[in-house]
Amino acid sequence: MSKLSFRARALDAAKPLPIYRSRDLPDLKDCVSINRAVPQMPTGMEKEEELEHHLQRAISAQQVFREKKENMVIPVPEAESNITYYDRLYKGELKVPKQLIHIQPLGLDNEQPDYDMDSEDETLLNRLNRKMEIKPLQFETMVDRLEKASANQLVSLPEAKLLLNEDDYLLKSVYDYWVRKRKNCRGPSLIPQIKQEKRDGSTNNDAYVAFRRRTEKMQTRKNRKNDEASYEKMLKLRREFSRTVTILEMIKRREKSKRELLHLTLEVVEKRYLLGDFTGEVLNEVTVPLAEKPVYTAPVTLTNGNRHKAELKTKTGLMHQVSIKDEFPFDCVRPKKKYSKRDKLYTQRRPGRPPSQYTVNKADIKQYDFHSSGEEDYTPPLSPPSEPDEENDPDGLFAFRRKAGCQYLSPHMDQNLGVLWEHPELAGMDALRHRHSLTALSLPSRLVGLGRRRMGRGGRVILDRASSGLDVVLKQLDPDAFASPVSRTRDINRLVAQRASMSSGVSSATAASSFAEILNNIQSLRWHCFRPRPAQHQVNEGSRMGKPSLDGRVTSSLLLNTKNNGSGGLSFTAGADNQQLVGKTSEIFFTSAQCAKCTLTSYGLHSLLQCSSTGTSRPPHSATLSHSGAGISGRVSSSGIGGPLLPTHSSSSLQSLPNHRNHVSAVSPAHHHHSAQPSAPSPSALKLATVATTLDHVPKVTPASTISNLARENHEPERLLNGISETTMAMEVT
Amino acid sequence: MAQVDVVEGCRLPVLRKNQENEDEWPLAEILSVKEIPGRKLYYVHYIDFNKRLDEWVTPDRLDMKKLQFPKKEAKTPTKNGLPGSRPSSPEREVRKSLDLNLQTATAPSRGKTLPTPNGTARRLMASQPGRKRKANCGGTDEDSQDSSDGIPSAPRMTGSLVSDRSHDDIVTRMKNIDCIELGRHRLKPWYFSPYPQELTTLPVLYLCEFCLKYLKSLKCLQRHLTKCNLRHPPGNEIYRKGTISFFEIDGRKNKTYSQNLCLLAKCFLDHKTLYYDTDPFLFYVMTEYDSKGFHIVGYFSKEKESTEDYNVACILTLPPYQRRGYGKLLIEFSYELSKVEGKTGTPEKPLSDLGLLSYRSYWSQTILEILMDLKPDNGERPQITINEISEITSVKKEDVISTLQYLNLINYYKGQYILTLSEDIVDGHERAMQKRHLRIDPKCLHFTPKDWSKRGKW
Repeated sequence: MSKLSFRARALDAAKPLPIYRSRDLPDLKDCVSINRAVPQMPTGMEKEEELEHHLQRAISAQQVFREKKENMVIPVPEAESNITYYDRLYKGELKVPKQLIHIQPLGLDNEQPDYDMDSEDETLLNRLNRKMEIKPLQFETMVDRLEKASANQLVSLPEAKLLLNEDDYLLKSVYDYWVRKRKNCRGPSLIPQIKQEKRDGSTNNDAYVAFRRRTEKMQTRKNRKNDEASYEKMLKLRREFSRTVTILEMIKRREKSKRELLHLTLEVVEKRYLLGDFTGEVLNEVTVPLAEKPVYTAPVTLTNGNRHKAELKTKTGLMHQVSIKDEFPFDCVRPKKKYSKRDKLYTQRRPGRPPSQYTVNKADIKQYDFHSSGEEDYTPPLSPPSEPDEENDPDGLFAFRRKAGCQYLSPHMDQNLGVLWEHPELAGMDALRHRHSLTALSLPSRLVGLGRRRMGRGGRVILDRASSGLDVVLKQLDPDAFASPVSRTRDINRLVAQRASMSSGVSSATAASSFAEILNNIQSLRWHCFRPRPAQHQVNEGSRMGKPSLDGRVTSSLLLNTKNNGSGGLSFTAGADNQQLVGKTSEIFFTSAQCAKCTLTSYGLHSLLQCSSTGTSRPPHSATLSHSGAGISGRVSSSGIGGPLLPTHSSSSLQSLPNHRNHVSAVSPAHHHHSAQPSAPSPSALKLATVATTLDHVPKVTPASTISNLARENHEPERLLNGISETTMAMEVT
Repeated sequence: MAQVDVVEGCRLPVLRKNQENEDEWPLAEILSVKEIPGRKLYYVHYIDFNKRLDEWVTPDRLDMKKLQFPKKEAKTPTKNGLPGSRPSSPEREVRKSLDLNLQTATAPSRGKTLPTPNGTARRLMASQPGRKRKANCGGTDEDSQDSSDGIPSAPRMTGSLVSDRSHDDIVTRMKNIDCIELGRHRLKPWYFSPYPQELTTLPVLYLCEFCLKYLKSLKCLQRHLTKCNLRHPPGNEIYRKGTISFFEIDGRKNKTYSQNLCLLAKCFLDHKTLYYDTDPFLFYVMTEYDSKGFHIVGYFSKEKESTEDYNVACILTLPPYQRRGYGKLLIEFSYELSKVEGKTGTPEKPLSDLGLLSYRSYWSQTILEILMDLKPDNGERPQITINEISEITSVKKEDVISTLQYLNLINYYKGQYILTLSEDIVDGHERAMQKRHLRIDPKCLHFTPKDWSKRGKW
């Protein structure tokens, strides 16, 4: 009993099993019952077949007799080996070679006809041979060619003539014979062949169809899961590659349009200047009738305040655009909601827009005229570029749709500046200190109080200023800089900022000043006024509008970053430096991802560009993103100066901020050397000077892309150097 | 006449001669009926006998007194093949298809005096409605997978054997080739093989002994032999000892030969599938040399990469060479390859009855050989682990265990497992080894395994 009650341990394949002879173990029989504890292994046969009579008989015979008994074997149908004509059939002898036989890879193709003559053919041949000589091989070759040429339908006689190139009589005889024979043939061909599968799947269950091709999906056998996944990834990559191409195409087109618009704007301004139309009356006269077009009904707004002084000029230019219905060029009235709409507008501008749509709408104008593509460039499309039904429904196209598989980042509050300022909790000093720092301008040398620098589109620098209780203290610290000119500037700045950034909460009252007044202001502040450039200059709005501005300088320092990294070319077409390309593109998409759109797509694109340009597989998205983030902060801090410290160098111009990386846009992520200089408080004018001088050596870049447009701005180094002393600010005043 | 009532699906005792040439009346099922001028012939499957013994019989061999008509329930064709090799009655379906395709079904048999088995013709038609149905529902493979109309989808793409009988219809359940002439031999096929359909009506199908091309007549074979100069399988010889050689053929590089070989092998391998191409397989053809050339004796195929440790896909000794030790030689060779590769392996499942017997026999002899060679070490009782046996022999662990069990060697004794060699086992082994002359000599093997996973394709 006790023996039966315990359970044998599982058989351990790694445990040594001692080997006994049965005679050594007389008491083994007592243990036999336990043998059941070893689980029975399956035989590997089909269950039903295993029970077949002859097999069972053979197995038991073997168990009993330990060897095969002649009458216990499994019977099989008989085979005979008594072909008497074998030796006549297989003529000749083969001497066995000493070496192992190795077949020559290409040795087998001696182009023998696959068709083999039968006795019926032989009769014909004998008959033909009375008139002419025809060898069996010759005949077989003919039939072979005819057969292989008539896959779908029989070769016609003229075709056969071309095909065979034989004597006419012979050809005719063989052809006629072949046609007749083929008609009587039961198979699809005179050369018997295995039935082929048909593409339509109708032969999936045809027992006579064999050797189907394995579908492409299954060509990976090992680690199939893995391979399938990577195959899908490749598909996705491909998809997104083509999407990138589309996007770049559209960017190219957009930039062309931009250029055109600029030319037109210049022209209009010049014309107006010649006409003396300083108040915009003529323009209005011209524009009003045109404004009937629904596309242009919305007043154009300037979204960027960072170039205000240039804008003052260019805006007038812009206002002359026929496409714009603006009663007054300096219409600063911004509906409050406008600003909050801004993000929306950003996200609207998707390349999802059908490429054919050339009408300029509000968003386009903004984009074309005042934004370089550096920052916002293209948000990757949520949907493939052209979906016909979307064309009819403007909202439908731009309507935000969640897409499966996309990651949506929650919007950053501090990106919506205007909105932010309305938040009481952020208006507290702590929040201010976090977001703003004391800022000084180098030239005019002054303190501007709490401010925050951010990058506008195209890398232009925007200073957001904040008023706070500290202002008093600041005044004490540097009364000169905080003197009246500043306040005057502030007026203007405010004015511009209001208009330009569509900032919320500022009434248009202050903006009521006339154009002339503003011009006056500008002049008194020694702001550089807009000078139209010769048209042969590659136009880009940055250089056009803010040549001497901080704007340009910052962009140039930006550019420097990229330069440091290698080649001077950023242009996509130039295909210059892969890393730059990747950096740029990723940054483009990084910013677009900021817009909380389509992270997935941007990632795809991003990684795909990486793959394409660097050829090395890069670590995943998050890494790159953080990478770019790091690069961004690094860059900003390096170009900025001195944290909340008060500036001691008059030439130090920029501010340093605790960065909001979200605001930093046109930064290539690849610049570690910049991150290596974290927001150290005292970088100096020296550095900036270096920056500027390095810019002297910046080679010209073909302006084939938005990015190269950025580079464009730096043609005139002396102006850039000047620019150091001339700061443009866009301020937001609460 | 009573025969009129005998339709597909009926069961009745049928006379057959057993191995002792005695009369037997095993129960059989009528799978098909055909009419040749003058009389009817019945294709019968003997219940509980292997399909290879199925045959056409004359009415006088049927025991009409014990005729059972197909039961409605039982004969519902279980197309998914759960009943295994026991054929389910196709009667209902055939009838239905006959109704549907009356004209087409009768046309060919009338047009010519074809010796075509009518059953085959019928079933071919029978598959058409299904095909149409499938085409109508826009049938991709995925679609048809869950369709319950019994039309099976494409089988899995790995391996070379089918275990489920989803593709088993009346066409594939019946032998379609009467006789194959190969070299000196005339072979009676055991199972269906998808040779071109127009060749299935021939009394004899002729194969070129060396390239295995199929030809419809002796004249054609003669003509072919004037053009075919092969005298050995078209691959590299990787082993030669005495008259035995092995040739390695890549199923991708030499498709024609591989396909011809598969077609021939299918005649003798029930579960072999030829659904897909031969690309992922290597074929090892064993030949015996004489002054005429290297004659094929048998072969085994092997996946270039197996996810399931298979070292053999299909294995076959041609019938004229069976029961002479060649099968074991093939198996031994397959394990020698695995030893070179440093892997353990196992044959692809399901095994056939003959396959099971051969493998068991090989495993038994291989393992017993090791166990009996173990000498006491320092007076200690010799011992060995299952893993060690597996490593030495390249036989997969599970097969080692199953063999030990089958031989009843494993016993649980005094708290541990032991191996016991009984006398009749020892004697039987020694007798068997005396008869085993053919052995693989590893020194004669010239084989470098390729890592197929590193190639883009097989």
